[in-house]
Amino acid sequence: MSPKPLRRKTVAMRPWDWSFPSPPVAHREVLSARPTGPTARPPLLMVHGVAHGAWCFEEHWVPTAAERGWPAYAVSLRGHGGSGGARHLRRTLTRDYVHDVLQAITELPEPPVLIGHSLGALVAQLVAERYPLRGLVLLTPAPMHSALGALAAIARDRPTDFLGAVVGRTLSMEPDILFEGLDAATAREYSDRTGTESPFVQWELLLRRRVGPVRCPVLVVGVPGDRLVRPADVRRTAAAYGVEPVWFPGMGHDVMLDTGWDRVLDTVLEFAADLPAWGSAPLR
Amino acid sequence: MTGMAETPSTEPDATTSAPARRRRTAASPAAVPTAVAPTAAGQSPEAAAAPGFVDRGGAWCVVGAGPHGLSALKALLQNGIEADGFERESDVGGNWNFGAENSRVYESTHLISSKPFTQFPDFPMPDSYPDYPSHRQVKEYFGRYADHFGLRDRIRFSHDVIRAAPVDDGHAWDVTSLDLVTGAETTYRYAGLVVANGHNWSPKIPAYPGLETFRGEVLHSADYKGADVLRGKRVLVVGAGNTGCDVAVESAQHAAHTWHSTRRGYYYNPKYALGRPSDQVADRLLALRIPLGIRRALFGATLKATVGDLTRYGLKRPDHKFFETHPIVNQQLVYYVGHGDITPVDDVDHVDETGVVLTDGTRVDVDLLVLCTGYLVRFPFLEPEWLNWRDDHPHLFLQMFTPSYDNLVVSGLIQPDSGQWTLAHWQGVLVARVAEALRVRPAQARALLARSAAEADRRYSAGADYKDSTRHYYEVAHQDYLRALQDAIRALEVSP
Repeated sequence: MSPKPLRRKTVAMRPWDWSFPSPPVAHREVLSARPTGPTARPPLLMVHGVAHGAWCFEEHWVPTAAERGWPAYAVSLRGHGGSGGARHLRRTLTRDYVHDVLQAITELPEPPVLIGHSLGALVAQLVAERYPLRGLVLLTPAPMHSALGALAAIARDRPTDFLGAVVGRTLSMEPDILFEGLDAATAREYSDRTGTESPFVQWELLLRRRVGPVRCPVLVVGVPGDRLVRPADVRRTAAAYGVEPVWFPGMGHDVMLDTGWDRVLDTVLEFAADLPAWGSAPLR
Repeated sequence: MTGMAETPSTEPDATTSAPARRRRTAASPAAVPTAVAPTAAGQSPEAAAAPGFVDRGGAWCVVGAGPHGLSALKALLQNGIEADGFERESDVGGNWNFGAENSRVYESTHLISSKPFTQFPDFPMPDSYPDYPSHRQVKEYFGRYADHFGLRDRIRFSHDVIRAAPVDDGHAWDVTSLDLVTGAETTYRYAGLVVANGHNWSPKIPAYPGLETFRGEVLHSADYKGADVLRGKRVLVVGAGNTGCDVAVESAQHAAHTWHSTRRGYYYNPKYALGRPSDQVADRLLALRIPLGIRRALFGATLKATVGDLTRYGLKRPDHKFFETHPIVNQQLVYYVGHGDITPVDDVDHVDETGVVLTDGTRVDVDLLVLCTGYLVRFPFLEPEWLNWRDDHPHLFLQMFTPSYDNLVVSGLIQPDSGQWTLAHWQGVLVARVAEALRVRPAQARALLARSAAEADRRYSAGADYKDSTRHYYEVAHQDYLRALQDAIRALEVSP
């Protein structure tokens, strides 16, 4: 039996969005760095994953990308990092994150290249079917075809973590899960900066989602030894967009923090530099 | 109610050759505008053509830079189709460009539909906006949309389109514009024409006997800009559209006394119901796919609980069911009627020197007559027959496509029972898909557009029977209409 396609045609009817709009948040944290001189580069907007915040991109990627001439932005989803909404995190849904990213996009001077990591990559795909991005980068993306397989792997490897997730606790963000090459002290420091995640959003990861037309180029980055997103899931995500994933062996799940982050960023900037002008890409 | 979706028209199979009608050339090589950076295009790329004439090759023309023009322009550019906009004012916003000659908003105008369905779905209004933004915020929003997608550089501002005509057997359109600054006339040739010049700008003035003898002031709502003209006067407001109700409320706040003349009783929907913007509450019922009859009953119960019996206030009992007239959203009108500041009265029979005589024989002496009697749809630069014009209005497939030409599209000729710009967005997407398909998959485009003759009269009322057809020529039930747009867009997509 061949798997059902993960792509679908245009969806204009979104009655739930019209009748239950995402509640606004009092404050949205957007960390940014701009190149010193004028630039013709499109902005990069980075979206973090489970229990992270904009800080994980602020550490290396945002300043480095700006040094290389890219206006770089990282947004904290509601209830994460410095954004408001922590009090309502327990009833936050994935669609609220989509709303947050769209809101951040409309603040930008022009259509960005959207870079999503893990859960943020799932959010980025849901944004991409609604909004005409310049380019879409998926870093170790949470599977849109359901994380059931990934959860089974977690159940096998870390049963307590699995049971915790079932009852709504945040997935373990221990250093050995996120990092491969970092020294223990730094890894611990980053791990300690992670917060909590909405239980509904974690449960929603088990849903099988289909994404409508995405007309911009897509880059998919995977890590063979990822302890959260299985390589098979990354391959399947990439296949949905008709591309091959780019692999970074020897790294952990957090490719923007782990040793080797600069090589991943190189790949991303190379992809972004080659993008066609907004609007001239063929239908995918 | 609705026509059969797949009924073939009397025409030959559209995918085979039908050269008699509006055939476009298949993908011409010149029609591939590779990678023009939206911001780098600068002003009009006038080539070294004859003075006063510019051939824009495969580009499309969009007339009007209001919400529908902007969304069509953006969708075309986004899909790699070169396009130019024309706007007679010096800024974007169309009707929402307060103070512009053809803007019909007034100082106090706020949206009457809440943000979620009113905004462009790919460019939501900021979280900092209220549920019902003001016209200033709306205009700012359109400006940000234009800036974000780099549209301003693609629009010729202060250019009035005075003429458009099909050339080359309908394969192209010659659009003549008048530069309102220099007075120069230029004709541009386009592969397609999108008409988004709005339908709320040409005032419809009723022919009341004796109106010319009236010694007081007569004002059409088109020229109503703020409450100053009302201060201290005895005012009769005619019409219970949303503008009429707004003006009656403002008059109640500022005038000496206000009479509000309506043809029939209406439902006055509150802006908030059950603690939420009422259109969001209504859309919940649609999301749950509740059938029309039950929705009517639930609406009735909600209105009864919030507004109550209208006849108690002295208002007429509605002579129709919910969803049979364009919704009035006004929480204050009934309030001021209840306070005696507005006296609801019958329709106007005739006017004399000092006042108005109503159909029930009562006379009312007034200083000012505000006619909130609506607008006429006008396309001053097009021939009506190109738009399948019958019985004083165009008959278009999806209220967009004419049977006469594949490459002539009207956007914005809709009056939804909801917010407007989600529909503007999807109309724009459909325009772009049609333009793209005409270029690269012409058979597919023609298969869709072949329905334009058979379905020119199709209404999207979701089962309701609209009262008083002239008022509701362009009325659509948003869910019904958007589903039809979605189907048309999908028909032009290759399977994923």
